[in-house]
Amino acid sequence: MASRPVEVAVGVPALAPERQVTWPKRTRTRLANGLEVILAASHTIPKFHGELLFRSGNAAVADRSIGLAEMTATVLRSGTQKRASRQIEEDLRRIGADLSSHAGSDASAISFSGLSEFAEPLLGLVEELAREASFPEAEFERERRQKLEEVKLQRTQPSFLAGERLRKVLFGAHPYAHVAPTEAQVAAYKLDDLNRVYRELYTPQNGLLLLVGDFEPQGMLKTIDTVFRAWSGKKPEAKAFPAPANPRGRRVYLVHMPGAVQTQILAGCHAITRNHPDWIKLGVTNCLYGGAFNSRLVMNIREDKGYTYSPRSAVTPLRQHGFFSVSAAVRNDVVAASLTEMFYELNKLRSLAVPAAELADAQNYLSGVFSLALATQEGLLTQFSTVAEHELPDDYLETYRSRVRAVTPEELLATARNYLDSANLQIVLAGDRAQIESQAALFGETEIFDAQGDRV
Amino acid sequence: MNRLHIAMEHRKLANGFDVVVAPDSTAPVVTVGVYYKIGFRLEPRGRSGFAHLFEHMMFQGSANAPKMQHIKLINSSGGVLNGSTSYDVTNYYQAVPSNALERVLWLEADRMRALKVDDENLKNQRDVVKEEVRVNVMNEPYGGFPWLDMPPVAFRNWANAHNFYGDFADLDAAHLGDVQAFFKTYYVPNNAVLLILGDVKPAEGLALAEKHFGSIPAGSPPVFADPSEPEQSEERRGHVDEKFGTLPAIAIGYLLPKRRTADWCAMALLDQALHGGRAGRLYRELVLEKQIAVEADGGIDDLFGYNGPTQMTTRILHKPEYSSEAALAAFDAVILEVQEKGISADELEQLKVKWRSDYYATLESGRGNYMPKYGLMHLLACFTLFDNDPQLVNTILEGFLAVTPREIHSVARKYLRNEKRAIVFRTPLKIGSPADQGVKEAP
Repeated sequence: MASRPVEVAVGVPALAPERQVTWPKRTRTRLANGLEVILAASHTIPKFHGELLFRSGNAAVADRSIGLAEMTATVLRSGTQKRASRQIEEDLRRIGADLSSHAGSDASAISFSGLSEFAEPLLGLVEELAREASFPEAEFERERRQKLEEVKLQRTQPSFLAGERLRKVLFGAHPYAHVAPTEAQVAAYKLDDLNRVYRELYTPQNGLLLLVGDFEPQGMLKTIDTVFRAWSGKKPEAKAFPAPANPRGRRVYLVHMPGAVQTQILAGCHAITRNHPDWIKLGVTNCLYGGAFNSRLVMNIREDKGYTYSPRSAVTPLRQHGFFSVSAAVRNDVVAASLTEMFYELNKLRSLAVPAAELADAQNYLSGVFSLALATQEGLLTQFSTVAEHELPDDYLETYRSRVRAVTPEELLATARNYLDSANLQIVLAGDRAQIESQAALFGETEIFDAQGDRV
Repeated sequence: MNRLHIAMEHRKLANGFDVVVAPDSTAPVVTVGVYYKIGFRLEPRGRSGFAHLFEHMMFQGSANAPKMQHIKLINSSGGVLNGSTSYDVTNYYQAVPSNALERVLWLEADRMRALKVDDENLKNQRDVVKEEVRVNVMNEPYGGFPWLDMPPVAFRNWANAHNFYGDFADLDAAHLGDVQAFFKTYYVPNNAVLLILGDVKPAEGLALAEKHFGSIPAGSPPVFADPSEPEQSEERRGHVDEKFGTLPAIAIGYLLPKRRTADWCAMALLDQALHGGRAGRLYRELVLEKQIAVEADGGIDDLFGYNGPTQMTTRILHKPEYSSEAALAAFDAVILEVQEKGISADELEQLKVKWRSDYYATLESGRGNYMPKYGLMHLLACFTLFDNDPQLVNTILEGFLAVTPREIHSVARKYLRNEKRAIVFRTPLKIGSPADQGVKEAP
């Protein structure tokens, strides 16, 4: 609730006619070994960006241990049948390239960028890592120790602890409940586990190679075919997990961090996947609520009340589910006041139609920001990768803007009532119990945990 | 070798305002930045953190665009915006579909001409900044390490040595008169540069700049305090407690040569030899080979963007079973090796290819993948404000590509000296468990 009237600007220049937004043409093919390839030219700089994506991540192997795909990706770059770790790093530098390997819940990937003049040697190294990584024992043990320290450090970070707890609350027995392994799980990883994950997930039939940059697509296709043709491997069996129960009733989960000088608030509920028909409507709703600087939540608890630096809300799409969340790191004495405003703004979107002018602003924002990706190779790559990973329609990028602009106030009201489930929102607070427990209790029955995740 | 050339036009308006337009019609998007030549280094004494607090105030309203209107108008034009404060400059930037160019220039001109803020705005943003400091520094493991921990240990001139985020007492002491005085002194057109990059024709960009900024009166040229440091002749050490993390941390900073000298180019490449990712000597030795450290990174932060004393800083988080002295000895061994042997012609060749590749990425790249041409904007602004020569963006690469192994060897001996460095030990209040079993010597 703004405490003083909003004034308007005077004499603002009108917008000029819009220039057409054209996405670069994608060249698609599938190699004989099953590897899907998508290429697009972008000549902004004499470089290219790429990603070799595998459609399986931590969730696919969660029955073995937590974070196993991520650990596999981490150790992947530290040796192949032909090159030792040091050689790999020097060879990358010699051709001016960057490379990283990583895994999330639903995918594993080798991401890279380099000079166009050295495209072939860089692709050669990527293929080597995908086909004949050697997982040296000593490198594995070194990375395991690094991971243990990382896992320990995470447990001192309010944003991590809040995020971890919310996932557990929302996803229960589903693999999406886990965002990171415990120390004990890391200590129990075996090299054989990594090798098995590698053999099963890193196959051409499970893979997609995306390249964007300064090259000529037909010539690049030939290079790719030469480099990747000898690789083979089947698609892993897809695993299905029972749907997680949707938590009913509002509850509070307090992660106790003694001495914390601020409280991390994170609240959320189940939402939808990216290819759901309501995705765009929910995106516009989120934008109005807390998804942009000019959103209601930011105006309220930052610009009007000064409770926090960076409030925001988001819809996070995972492959099988999605969730909505709102977060802010706030002063300890305004935890209850901040939550009150978060709920006020949610309920307002569920009760009153959004004024047409405010909706138009949000639509312009989303459709304008979407086209910023056109300006960089990495921006384009990210968009193409999103479309491919979430199996969105081929014309998703081309039709996104008109679909955003077609959303009506009535649809937004229905969307907010469907998905911004304030009565069943689960609230996580990471902060000092002594300072915030009585405020927490105002919002629901409170369970208290320590930083290790144990109930206290 | 495929070289990149940035086309541009540069003009100084009658009021001393520099305008640089760099056209590129690849995407229907334009990035607009205004840089003011004032950062936290030269903010007023007794007002630590003020330059950054002031940056927040620039979003609180101007004569014709009251509070929130700047943000609302950029977002509703399909654009994003932000600002940031660093040592020697403060920037304000937005990326928008190119049909909103004139609107952005109107907004930037309005707040340069007449900032209009009140006590309530100041109180509001002071509260916001305190939460920013809490989330980034006070409530975060290794928060502010080493960018806030190092200056008071390394430097003797208050300008370089104070808390740039601000002591809360200083933030509380700031009043509206300070805001107005700071604005009047530094936020004048003759102390700023406008960058228009992307989908714009140079003639159109220059004409719009003249139309909106041309009538803003020039101010007195700001008088800047002297940021120079007394000659350092002894190693300096300091200690800071780590409240949350369990790994001991060390930062080592060496003073850098003057910018745009041959030594500076050689140091930049030596920095890459030491800190260039996993192939860098420090990561390789400390993390991959000896495995004393969990992290070893850092280097020269924002090579082109500083205009006063600065350091090349290494940041090490090491395993608790090694003493700080053992970790420091392993670091020193890496430095000693490069001082004794220099680096090979082959290693330097690798570094140059990577340097060129990284430079192109800087010119294209956004900030956090959403602000196209942020890197180009930053370089053009710094080369204009510090050197009066934005064309340096097309020529500066040559100096780095001309560095010889002999020059690398020479700067290693000249600048990586103990009496030219400062060390900060950030020591956990709670040490991790492996240390309980006794402290090891370095292997």
